[in-house]
Amino acid sequence: MAQSSAHSSSASDLSPWTALLLLAPLTAVMLLILIYPLGLTVWTSLYNGRFSFDAYVELASSTLFLRVLRNTFEIAIGGTLVSLLFGYPVALHLAAQPPRKRTAYLIMVMLPFWTSILVKSFALVAVFGNQGLINQFLGVVSGGTLNVPMMFNRVGVILGMINFLLPFMILSILGSLLALDRRLILAAETMGAGPLRIFWKITLPLSLPGVLAGVLINVTLSIGMYITPALLGGRQDMMVANLVDFYTRQTLDWTAASATAVALLILSGLLVALLGKVRGASGLAGAGA
Amino acid sequence: MTASSTPAMVELQGVAKRYGEVNALHRVDLSIAKGEFVTLLGPSGSGKTTLLNLIAGMITPSSGRIVIDGRDATTLPTNRRGLGMVFQNYALMPHMTVFENIAFPLEVRRLSKAEIKRKVGEALELIQLGHVANRKPRELSGGQQQRISLARCIVYNPALILMDEPLGALDKKLREQMQLEIKRLHAELGITMLYVTHDQDEALTMSDRIVLMNGGRIEQQGTPDTLYFRPETVFSAEFIGSSNLIPGTVEIGADGAYALNTALGRFAAPAPERAMKAGEPAVLLVRPENMALAATPTPAGVDGHIEDSILLGGVVRHFVRCADGSSLIIQELNQPGRPGAHRGEAVRAAWQPQHGRLLPPAPAG
Ligand SMILES: Nc1ncnc2c1ncn2[C@@H]1O[C@H](COP(=O)(O)OP(=O)(O)OP(=O)(O)O)[C@@H](O)[C@H]1O
Ligand SMILES: [Mg+2]
Repeated sequence: MAQSSAHSSSASDLSPWTALLLLAPLTAVMLLILIYPLGLTVWTSLYNGRFSFDAYVELASSTLFLRVLRNTFEIAIGGTLVSLLFGYPVALHLAAQPPRKRTAYLIMVMLPFWTSILVKSFALVAVFGNQGLINQFLGVVSGGTLNVPMMFNRVGVILGMINFLLPFMILSILGSLLALDRRLILAAETMGAGPLRIFWKITLPLSLPGVLAGVLINVTLSIGMYITPALLGGRQDMMVANLVDFYTRQTLDWTAASATAVALLILSGLLVALLGKVRGASGLAGAGA
Repeated sequence: MTASSTPAMVELQGVAKRYGEVNALHRVDLSIAKGEFVTLLGPSGSGKTTLLNLIAGMITPSSGRIVIDGRDATTLPTNRRGLGMVFQNYALMPHMTVFENIAFPLEVRRLSKAEIKRKVGEALELIQLGHVANRKPRELSGGQQQRISLARCIVYNPALILMDEPLGALDKKLREQMQLEIKRLHAELGITMLYVTHDQDEALTMSDRIVLMNGGRIEQQGTPDTLYFRPETVFSAEFIGSSNLIPGTVEIGADGAYALNTALGRFAAPAPERAMKAGEPAVLLVRPENMALAATPTPAGVDGHIEDSILLGGVVRHFVRCADGSSLIIQELNQPGRPGAHRGEAVRAAWQPQHGRLLPPAPAG
C-alpha cells in the first residue's frame, strides 16, 4: 500500500487528471499481484547465475514435458467437448422454460460454484470411486465380478473437470439462445419446417457465438487445471500445472518450473487468440444479431 | 356474402381464446372464401393478432373449431397447416442470404436443387429484387426486406397467406407502394389473403372484405363500401371515415316515417335496417361530405357558427359549433370562386334527409 500512495501522489503531482488518480490504486494492486510475480517468473526462467534460454531448450527436448503437454491438450479439449455435449442440451432446455422456472434451474446450475473444489472432488470419489455408489451397485448386480475404474484415471479427471466447466458452457450458450428471435422459429414453422430442421438450420447456427465463447472459456480454464488432475487423475494424467508443482516441490528446480509456467502461459495465450479469431469471424458472418 | 357462393378457404366456428381472466377473443364465426382478400381491422387490443395466430396454429383456441381448406385444423401443428405468413418485423433468417431465405421453404418441401434455383429466381423477379440474391437481409432496406419476406411466402405457393401488419414499419410512401404490390400479387396469383391492419385507409384500399374487430368480437363485416356507407353501429361509423353523430330519441309518424328528436331539433331520417321503437334512444349519422353550408333555411339543418375551416387540397373542411355546444364537420369540394367561410360566421349545416342514417346508441362506457 505504501507503493500505492507513492504512485498516486506522483500521478497527481503531474496533472489534475482525476481519472488517472482513480485508476492508480487498481493499477498498483495489479502491478503488485500480477505483473510483478509474472515478471519474476519470466526472470527466473531466464536467469540462473547467468542469462540464458537453456531452460526453454531443455524443456523443448524433455520427453516428460512433451508428454505432459500432450496430456494437457487432450484433457482440456476432451473435457471441453464433453462439457459441450452435456451443456448444449441443458442450455436448450433452460431456454425453453418460462422465466421463473428458468431462474430456479439456473440456481441449480450455479450451485457447484458455491462448493469448494476439494469437497466436490471427494464427493465425486464417493460416487464414482472403486468403493463408490455406482461400483457398489454394479458389484451387487453382477455378483461382485464387475468393477469399472472411474477414478484416478482419465475418466476421473474429465468427470471432475466438467463438473467445474459445465456452468460456464451452459451460461454462454444460454445467452445466445435467449437472444434468438422466437419469431424466426415461428416463421420457419409456418413454412412447414419440422423441429429437427429448425434446430439444424436456425437454432444451432444462430447459437454458434455462444458455443464458441463457451468453448473458449472452457479450454482456457481447463488448460491450467491443477487440483482436479492431482486429486482425481492417475500418474499418467499429469497436466502442465502439476508439472510446475513437481519441479517446485519435488526437484526444487525453480528455473525449469518457471520456464514451464511461462510456456503454459504462452500456449494458452495463443489458443485464446486463435479461438478469438474464429469467434470474431463468425460474429462478422452475422450469427450474432 | 361472397363466402356462400365459393368454397371456404378458412372457416372459424365459435372460436374463442382466453388468457386467464382476459377474453382475447369471444366466440367468433368467420368464413373466408378461396381467393378472397380479407382485412382484419380494429383498434389495438381488439384481437386481430390473436385471430391470425389461431389460424396459423401458433396458439390453440380455448373453444371452437378451425377448418382450413376443408380439413379440421383445430389442433394441427403450425408446420402442417400449409399456409404462409408475413410478419411485421419480416422474420428473415439473419445468417442466410436472400437466396437461402427464399429457398428455405422449398428445401422443406424437398425440391431438387435445379428447381429451387428456378423458383427462387422467379420469385425474386416478381418482386424485382434479382440483384440482391447474395446479400444478407441486414444489408437491405426495410422495404426490400419486406419484399423478400413476401417472396419467401409466395415462392411455395401456399393456398393461404396471413399478414400481421406487414407494412407497419415502413414510411407512408413505401407503404402505399407495397400496398399496390401486394394487391398486384393477389390479383396475379389468386392466393387467399388475410391481412391485419389498424389503418382504415389501408383496409379500404386493399380489401375485398373488411372484418372490423372490437374488444375481441367482430363488430361488422362487409365490403369497404358497405362499411363506409352502411355502418351498423356507432363504433363502425366512427372507426371508418369521419362522422357527425347526433344523439336523440326515435319518433315514428302515423305513416311509419322515422324521425329523431334531438337537442338540435327534429330530423327526418330513412327507416333503419333493423326496426326501432318510438321513444327508443338512437344516433343519427351524417357523413361530413353529405353536409353542406346553406345560406337559406333548408328542411334538415342545424344553425351554428364556423369555428375553423381547413383546406385539404381538393376539399375544404369546416368545423361548425352548434347552439348546444356540440360540433359538426362539413366537407365540401374545393372549387375556384368558392365563397370564403370566415371564422365566427353564422351558418347553417344542411343535409338531405335520405343521407342520414339511424344507428343504435353506443353501449355505455
Ligand atoms: N399471451 C398473452 N397473454 C395474455 N393476454 C394476451 C396475450 N396475447 C394477447 N393478449 C390480450 O388479448 C387481447 C388481444 O390482443 P391482440 O394481440 O390480438 O390484439 P391486436 O388486435 O393484435 O392489437 P394490436 O393492434 O395492438 O396488435 C389484448 O387485450 C391482449 O392484452
Ligand atoms: Mg397485433
